[in-house]
Amino acid sequence: MPKVTVDGIEIEVPAGSTVLQACEAAGKEIPRFCYHERLSIAGNCRMCLVEVAPGPPKPQASCALPAMEGQTIRTDSPMVKAAREGVMEFLLINHPLDCPICDQGGECDLQDQSVAYGRGSSRYDENKRAVTEKYMGPIVKTVMTRCIQCTRCVRFAEEVAGVEEIGAIYRGENMQITSYLERAVTSELSGNVVDLCPVGALTSKPYAFEARPWELTKTPGIDVMDAMGTNVRFDSRGRQLLRIVPRINEDVNEEWAHDKTRHAVDGLTARRLDRPFVRKNGKLEAASWEDAFKAVAAAAKKAGGSVTAVAGDMVDCETMFAARELVTALGGSMLEGRQTGLAYDTSSLSAVNFNTGIANIEKADVILLVGSDLRREAPLVNARVLKAIRKRGAKVFAIGPETDLTYKVENLGASLKTLTKLPKAVADAFKNAARPAIIVGGGALRYEGAHGAALALAEKYKLVRELEDGSTWNGFNVLHFAASRMGGLMLGYAFAGGIRALAVEKPKLGFFLGADEVNYDLFADTFKVYVGHHGDAGAHAADVILPAAAYTEKAGTYVNLEGRVQRGERAVFPPGDAREDWAIFRALSDVVGKKLPFDNLEQLRTKMAAAVPALGVEGLADYGWVVPKLDAKPEGDVADYPIKDFYLTNAICRASATMQRCSAELVHGETFAEAAE
Amino acid sequence: MADAPQLPAEAEVRARWGNFAWTKENAKQAATIIARYPEGRQQSATMPLLDLAQRQVGAETNTQGWLPVPVMEYIADQLGLAYMRVYEVATFYTMYNLAPVGRFHVQVCGTTPCMLRGSDDVLAACKNRGLSKGHTTPDGLFTLTEVECLGACTNAPMVQINDDNFEDLTYDTMSALLEALAEGKPVKIGPQIDRQTSCPEGGPTALQAMATENHDYRGEWK
Amino acid sequence: MTDRPCRLLPFDGLGGYRGFMGILAKIFTWWNGATIGTSLYSLRKGRQVGEDSTGNRYFEAKDKSGRRWVIYNGPNDASRVPPEWHGWLHHTHDLLPHELPAARNWEAEYSPNATGTADAYRPAGALERGGKRAAATGDYEAWSPN
Repeated sequence: MPKVTVDGIEIEVPAGSTVLQACEAAGKEIPRFCYHERLSIAGNCRMCLVEVAPGPPKPQASCALPAMEGQTIRTDSPMVKAAREGVMEFLLINHPLDCPICDQGGECDLQDQSVAYGRGSSRYDENKRAVTEKYMGPIVKTVMTRCIQCTRCVRFAEEVAGVEEIGAIYRGENMQITSYLERAVTSELSGNVVDLCPVGALTSKPYAFEARPWELTKTPGIDVMDAMGTNVRFDSRGRQLLRIVPRINEDVNEEWAHDKTRHAVDGLTARRLDRPFVRKNGKLEAASWEDAFKAVAAAAKKAGGSVTAVAGDMVDCETMFAARELVTALGGSMLEGRQTGLAYDTSSLSAVNFNTGIANIEKADVILLVGSDLRREAPLVNARVLKAIRKRGAKVFAIGPETDLTYKVENLGASLKTLTKLPKAVADAFKNAARPAIIVGGGALRYEGAHGAALALAEKYKLVRELEDGSTWNGFNVLHFAASRMGGLMLGYAFAGGIRALAVEKPKLGFFLGADEVNYDLFADTFKVYVGHHGDAGAHAADVILPAAAYTEKAGTYVNLEGRVQRGERAVFPPGDAREDWAIFRALSDVVGKKLPFDNLEQLRTKMAAAVPALGVEGLADYGWVVPKLDAKPEGDVADYPIKDFYLTNAICRASATMQRCSAELVHGETFAEAAE
Repeated sequence: MADAPQLPAEAEVRARWGNFAWTKENAKQAATIIARYPEGRQQSATMPLLDLAQRQVGAETNTQGWLPVPVMEYIADQLGLAYMRVYEVATFYTMYNLAPVGRFHVQVCGTTPCMLRGSDDVLAACKNRGLSKGHTTPDGLFTLTEVECLGACTNAPMVQINDDNFEDLTYDTMSALLEALAEGKPVKIGPQIDRQTSCPEGGPTALQAMATENHDYRGEWK
Repeated sequence: MTDRPCRLLPFDGLGGYRGFMGILAKIFTWWNGATIGTSLYSLRKGRQVGEDSTGNRYFEAKDKSGRRWVIYNGPNDASRVPPEWHGWLHHTHDLLPHELPAARNWEAEYSPNATGTADAYRPAGALERGGKRAAATGDYEAWSPN
């Protein structure tokens, strides 16, 4: 614990800290461009110069200088001021003065820092350098003349995204940042380089010239594109949502978000359900809310208790709770959320949870992936696993078809029988590991016995154990990829035998909450009420469509894959006649004569917390650790992974032009000619 | 980068060099180079392998050789590196050619000492012979590049042609040199005037007895 | 965001209680009117200057310090001080409300900050305001079953 003095403030910093971190700990702001907490240290922008004694009598780059016992650091001396002004002047030599037409304007590090630390004017009178634009894919727009070569994007691509496709070519004044041969960067996380870029060299292509940051209303929200529960900020102007950017949450998404989270935004203004529809003579016709409710009420009367609710992948807990209450009030009890037919046992929630935790998985030293295409199912968990490999040398094994996870994986073949008898090398690795973990994905959960075999393996190798520091390590993980899954399971949206068994019961009335992945042929005889926000598979099959709110248009509670209860707020209103989902069920309950006992969201949440206490408290829900007795004799191979096209996994993505383009270009390999700018 | 060579079209390059592989001798040489570095540090072999590949490409095309993209990828695959990392190295160093060059790669030094001593004349001689910066002559013989200091300032002005230095040039000697190279006549490597390496012109002025053989001066000390 | 439900709890939850519960509330809570300490202090060192329409009492120190303070009749919410007393309380001027120029007839009745209460502002279109929204203005593309 070295003790240093920063501008006269004596402070003790953890061993291994840099001078920059010491200055920050002392509350001093150090300007920087290349330094980033989550990336390796490059030390090439020179903006963080400070005066350090003892040491050479010149300014030193604080980001790359270790803090040592007895150092005296000055961040406010004339030398430091002059050094910052000098560096700033050099950086601005080749930076164009195009702030008025630059998308970064208003949230630009270079702009802010040149105001704070730069000179008022430049003495440079020569020609500025210009660099041609580079193609980096459908997400990232480049204006490389603005680049100050901090190499944050290069380091991000290598260290976090795991795809070494961005680099710096040529040298000296001719140095340029580019993707390999100017091809699209094939990473699900490519959008993050836009946030990382301290200048306007890398900006968002779909959001180009849409808005200035100071015009936007910022609302905290939770992402529903996968089960991560990424903390995001909805940026809206008026009644339009313009962009989604991540918020920092160390336990969940750090400060990253994948491209689906960021850029499915334009899907929210396409194919929207903005009025109720009722099927008449086999054709869906626009109707009033009253008529739609009457049609549902008539069906409810006929149903006589044979009522079901099927939750889609993106619904919030409030919606599921309101639907559940209505179904119960109508005398039904059939609830299901696993649309694609998964039927794993849910008697113990801890057996279907990501128990290790998203943040902790990067501490694992041996990881076995079972039928999990982590990169597509949860890109940010994948980034954590990559971190485990890069920082701690973790070993990763996989059972399932070969797939590119951006890091080296030892593939053990696709046979699930491997689970019951691991090859010796893997078994040894597990035996010697301090923090072993297993991740069971949707690819394996489909198969009878796989879940049980994985649990048996967890027992055998004691994946749940006490660590040296006294904390508990639970290495058994099931990876979900639907935002509503854990919340749904907590609310009882799981029917024994899955959705196929539910269909065999032939429910007379079914509420489908944004369920677009359901095989509707199974429900041919059911009166289908679709409550959702996008015209997709579910709307086409429905008998009555009740237009509801998308995740940006309602305040909602979501439970992510590790059982973390989080709340998002409403950024904009649903379009047209669409209403918030819970209010639809509340209004409908009046019409069918089974009035639900809540009149506003607060009352609903109180009722929900009374029914499932964990949903009333934000934070990790405690499921304990209970191992159910399951069949543990899996047969056959993991045939494939459930996510075929990462960019088109839900109704919002499928309606989004940006996601369509990403899918065509990055998944199906089409090439797009870029119009010259 | 105004006179930087234009990179050739990728599709053509891939068609021509897509199945690049080491020749037998070079494969052996490559293995030797890689073996110089400890396990896990193979990426250190990037630069010598790139040089080897450039020479092999040169031998195949009877030129000074260059590095087509598929060749860089071949090396990256051999070393287990990302393509980008090899590409960065190849673009960083000016001695790796990113576009085809002629049989003679004429690199004229234009840095201050050479310029003061008449590198403009040397360039004029090249220009007169039909060479222009960044281009290969139509007969495929010469490629002209202006480079920064090559470290032979004592013998300025100088050019480097392929692996050899030609020093103490004038307009006439440079013209004659290019002529001789074009005709395939033997040329004198090193200083083009009467001097030994970087010794003074017209023979040494000090330690004259040392010029031809080792001489023990100690007895002559006063 | 954790305190979301709390925010909607009425602040004056105990204000309506009188008698024994009222005394207990006085002893153990601080969010309604003055604590016992402040009440005693006000009696000893303060001089009541006036009272506004909602029953908030305004005090001035008897000594030369010139301190001014208010004891709320109900929840301690600074926005409950009406504008005519606000200027005096903050030493902007020394005029008491009756010494001020008469209110103009176009001046609206003062109301405290309604955030966190049922009267809080809701944007047009919110369910709390009936959920009536402008018809589609074409900023989205509606789905059609055909």
